Amino acid sequence: MNINIASYCRLTNHKLEVNDIDIQIQKTEASSLNDIYRHLNLSYPKFFKMDNLSKAGFLASELLLKNIIIDKETPKKDMAIVLMNRSASLDNDRTYQTTIQDENNFFPSPSVFVYTLSNIVNGEIAIRNKIMGESSFYISENFSPEKIYSAVMNTFSDPNINQVICGWVDYEFNECDVLLLLIRKENQEKIPFNVNNIYHLYT
Amino acid sequence: MNEDIVVTGMGIITGLGYGKKQTLEALRLQHSGIGKINYLQTIHADYPVSEVKMSDNEMRNFLKIPSEKIITRTPLLGIMALNEAINEARFDKNEARKIAFINGTTVGGMEKSEQYYPEFINTEHYIENHDCGSSSEAIAEYFGNFDMITTISTACSSAANAIVLGANLLKTERVDVAIVGGTECLSKFHLNGFNTLMILDKAACRPFDATRTGLNLGEGAAYLVLEKASNAQQRNIKPLCKLSGYANTCDAYHQTASSPDGQGAYLAMQNALYESQLKPEDIDYINAHGTGTENNDLSEGTAIMRIFKDTIPPVSSTKPFTGHTTSAAGSVESIISILALQHDFIPANLNFNHPMPELSFQPVKENITKKLQHVLTNSFGFGGNDTTCIFSKIE
Amino acid sequence: MEALILELKKEIIEVLNLEELTPEDINEDAPLFVEGLGLDSIDALELIVLMEKNYGIKLNNAAEGRDIFKSVRIMAEYIAKNRTK
Repeated sequence: MNINIASYCRLTNHKLEVNDIDIQIQKTEASSLNDIYRHLNLSYPKFFKMDNLSKAGFLASELLLKNIIIDKETPKKDMAIVLMNRSASLDNDRTYQTTIQDENNFFPSPSVFVYTLSNIVNGEIAIRNKIMGESSFYISENFSPEKIYSAVMNTFSDPNINQVICGWVDYEFNECDVLLLLIRKENQEKIPFNVNNIYHLYT
Repeated sequence: MNEDIVVTGMGIITGLGYGKKQTLEALRLQHSGIGKINYLQTIHADYPVSEVKMSDNEMRNFLKIPSEKIITRTPLLGIMALNEAINEARFDKNEARKIAFINGTTVGGMEKSEQYYPEFINTEHYIENHDCGSSSEAIAEYFGNFDMITTISTACSSAANAIVLGANLLKTERVDVAIVGGTECLSKFHLNGFNTLMILDKAACRPFDATRTGLNLGEGAAYLVLEKASNAQQRNIKPLCKLSGYANTCDAYHQTASSPDGQGAYLAMQNALYESQLKPEDIDYINAHGTGTENNDLSEGTAIMRIFKDTIPPVSSTKPFTGHTTSAAGSVESIISILALQHDFIPANLNFNHPMPELSFQPVKENITKKLQHVLTNSFGFGGNDTTCIFSKIE
Repeated sequence: MEALILELKKEIIEVLNLEELTPEDINEDAPLFVEGLGLDSIDALELIVLMEKNYGIKLNNAAEGRDIFKSVRIMAEYIAKNRTK
């Protein structure tokens, strides 16, 4: 049984690449995740409620799964989501802190608080695509192909799981650093899932 | 590969006290850890919480941590709990085994960062201890000797997911021993956050009660030592019980609310039962997630009815005892479930008076003595992250 | 009242991140929840914060909000009657 990378998406401030195709988006100084959303012509207004981390992960997942998940309504019990990053939800935590910082203007924001958890990005991808398998989020000091590989292989020890969306989703100080992979058990010739290939797709 | 995964050590600290003995005693005497806020400095003093009844200094003194060492409350709680677990599991530091430490936390060092934030430039370096990973490393550093350290941050299912990951690492033979669980202290950040979501109760929480209006937060830490049965045998240590099955699924419904039919919870329990090769009627007790919010208890109750149908076992939530310990809840409640299993004792679901009209069952009102073979525990986190673990006596 | 309704529409768009809508897109008599704008429970909580922050009206629980947030017009009428800011 081969375990392969069926699809990938690399999203940074300077690059948007999906399965070897470079997606050119007019990059201006104000260019942002919202611009990518508009460029992709997605119809999902809930996107604008998300924090930057969830937006980044969500957009990458839309591209990752384009033409693979056509039916977003049928529950996918055999698909898992296993993500990692370094800064957890700190980018959004700072925003939340501003709503409780000043004693004289103290209005904690519920919609911002929702995103003060790193795994909400898993939730957003799951809600969008009705993915109901395992969902995990790990914190790691650095991007580690070994840890990603290990986590995914652990997930496959559950015989019910046939596909895993995995990777690195980080957003901090306006820097977006995302590598999402769709890993599948299948026999066709694809990119084999191993530490080296994860590393090459990241760099 | 299909060998039993057993528990050989447990350690716990919550508002009920320090250690398994104090925890069991509080459960038997129905002494809740919930009361007025004492240690956390906050304006929301009218929300009942379950605080660990030790100050940071008291814990530091107990652990003999030098005063110049900077360490925040979350890892202090973690070290207290881990101390008990490791002592019970009797590790010889000179044994050559691969040991993983998997820690669930979300608050991390935040409680100090928010305290010192206005003046942080002039005071101690708590900022370096802010992130979740630092808490895990601080705990690990106290004990030394871990081959792998990682932090799971999936909100209220973090510690349960640490159990799942630990078990998977053992099954795939990546480690010989996995020490798993979670730790969380109270902070203004999440107290305010839960308050703004309007899911805190100003009275003591009442899980599965028709008049329930929210949860009470708690703090604490709990760890389990997991290893394969053969490993425990080689080390000559008698296991406490086995982890028969577990599962993690996603509700895929809403960022913070659970689906009306409890689909994520349903799948988690179903998959855990399947893995343990047990039928619903084999479960003798369910330690529910049971936060006392309108949404969770209805969703979880519905899922329980769907799985167990006419054979619903006794159900209780022990959050009226410990509060909702968020990232530590999965391991706190696993240990409570295992204590129940070991002592054939089901703790009451405190504060329950009015049955929910939507459910066909009620939680247990009084402590019950009953022979228990298999217990099931649920932990559900924001993001629809649902985890179930099943622990069983070893024949 | 018309001025308050317009102001409220702009504030709702901002606090709820309804980035693709303009005030003209919101019908002040249409339901805000379930149908209409299809807002959810977290949106309701943000509207509760909005009421206090901008108009000094404190609601104690989400249930109180259910009647007041039925439409923009009903919200505006409630605010006009009860505002302290």
